[in-house]
Amino acid sequence: MKILVGAKRVVDPNVKVRVSADGTGIDAEHSKMSLNPFDENAIEEAVRLKEKNPNIEIIALSIGNEKSIDVLRTAMARGCDRAILVFSENNLEPIMVAKVFKHIVKQENPEIILLGKQAIDDDANQVGQMLAGMLNYPQGTFISKLQIDDNKVIVAREMDSGTETLELKLPVVLTADLHLNEPRFIKLPQLMMAKKKPIEQLNFDDLGISYKESTVLLQAYDGEIKKSCKMLDNVEQLIEVLKEKKAL
Amino acid sequence: MQVLIITTQNGVKTNLPNLFGAARILANECDVLVVGHELTDVVRDVATYSLVKEVLQLDHANLKHLLAENIAPTIAQIVKNYTHVLIAADAFGKNVLPRVAGILEIGQISDVTDILSSSVFKKFMYAGNVLVELSALEDIKLLTIRTSNFDVVEDRSSTLALITQVSYDGVNDDRVKFLTEHNSYNPVDLSSAKIVVTGGRSLGSKEAFDSHIRVLAQKLNAGVGASRAAVEAGYANNDCQVGQTGKVVAPNVYLAIGISGAVQHISGMKDSKTVVAVNTDPNAAIFEHADYGLIGDLFEVVPTLINRIN
Repeated sequence: MKILVGAKRVVDPNVKVRVSADGTGIDAEHSKMSLNPFDENAIEEAVRLKEKNPNIEIIALSIGNEKSIDVLRTAMARGCDRAILVFSENNLEPIMVAKVFKHIVKQENPEIILLGKQAIDDDANQVGQMLAGMLNYPQGTFISKLQIDDNKVIVAREMDSGTETLELKLPVVLTADLHLNEPRFIKLPQLMMAKKKPIEQLNFDDLGISYKESTVLLQAYDGEIKKSCKMLDNVEQLIEVLKEKKAL
Repeated sequence: MQVLIITTQNGVKTNLPNLFGAARILANECDVLVVGHELTDVVRDVATYSLVKEVLQLDHANLKHLLAENIAPTIAQIVKNYTHVLIAADAFGKNVLPRVAGILEIGQISDVTDILSSSVFKKFMYAGNVLVELSALEDIKLLTIRTSNFDVVEDRSSTLALITQVSYDGVNDDRVKFLTEHNSYNPVDLSSAKIVVTGGRSLGSKEAFDSHIRVLAQKLNAGVGASRAAVEAGYANNDCQVGQTGKVVAPNVYLAIGISGAVQHISGMKDSKTVVAVNTDPNAAIFEHADYGLIGDLFEVVPTLINRIN
């Protein structure tokens, strides 16, 4: 069985992102970069499945320039068997990412495509669902539990008020919620081993797709709102505030 | 400009008036597609809103569980008649609309917080650190809407809007089977609550979370929220999580109890009208995002507050 996982290179979640001086984008040139945290959950889950079933092969896919090799090495240190880098200098929107994944799925025929539910840069939460729509595959989104049962998977999905459990026939597209698992720490020998694992490099021409934009960024602003906080002395004053704001 | 809102039985009860608030910025009228099963009463209710020109009823036993595989192909056909498609950025909208976009191979904009023109939309990126204005190039604008950012529009008309049954091919995708659902007991819906009480990891146990945060919320008729750390520690269910990866709320009053104020949390509550924070640490980041702050031990402050309300 093959599992295809996604590995996006994003600004590290602990870095405070700044808008560039001209307001046309993000100043991320010198920021620390990481593997998208939701992709870590997806990869961790794939590795846990492989630990139970050694016949599983895990392939990690990233799209970007040669710097994305870093996150593919991380993915392989986490237990992916091999990796594919589809080369692009452009910052791709979800619909383009889904198109690239579709071509790799046609090439590799994985039974499970396991992605993070969103990337923490654009926070779009689209690629998995788009890919499932393009391929006409069943989709299990925002999953917090996964179990393989022969040619099916059983997944628990995080909903607005609780969870629902679905049974989906393979091949499927799944997207991981943070509650799916706790990704393990990588040990040094695994990092060394990852350097020996193969990375196949492809470009858009190899896949026969052309780059297209569906949106243009007109302006970026600092999204943080700082307030001037009025400090209260005691609970009585807190109650007065709640009364004034009609919460009491 | 042809605007379509897509909603469900639950959506009509919760966020439809906010979707009207978004639709009204674009046009003077819109159509509403209601998806699900046994929708006769719901559809009649929708038809009484003034803004509605036509209600499309997509009603079939196979759609009871709102599975994206069964719904998306039909929606992908319907949206071709529209320039703008609006759906709430809740679990249903986030699951279904990108699948529709995938079928049509067009882009989508997620979590729209403002509409500046027929093709320019605002949304947050990077856990709310960055706000962007995007110009949408697709002919059909597929938008998930952060409903708490839009005004409630609930004017009713004395005449019913036209109600049309949408034909559904009735093919059930047998690759997908709904097994069970577990509904959490949330007496007040968090996303639409007027008051929200949120607790963090400093509560220390589920028992303390329940006896402090839940009891206070009950007294105030408020929704119960939790930080990611509190959810991961098991003090509250995942559906209580407020933040980048959880729910986005914008109540009149947001009461943050023992919340440190990580940027991922702030992104889920920054549009609250009044934020009141209680924390022992005077340097906690939450105070930078609060209107009122009280430095104190929540285990003293909350019981006193509950007593005084009693």
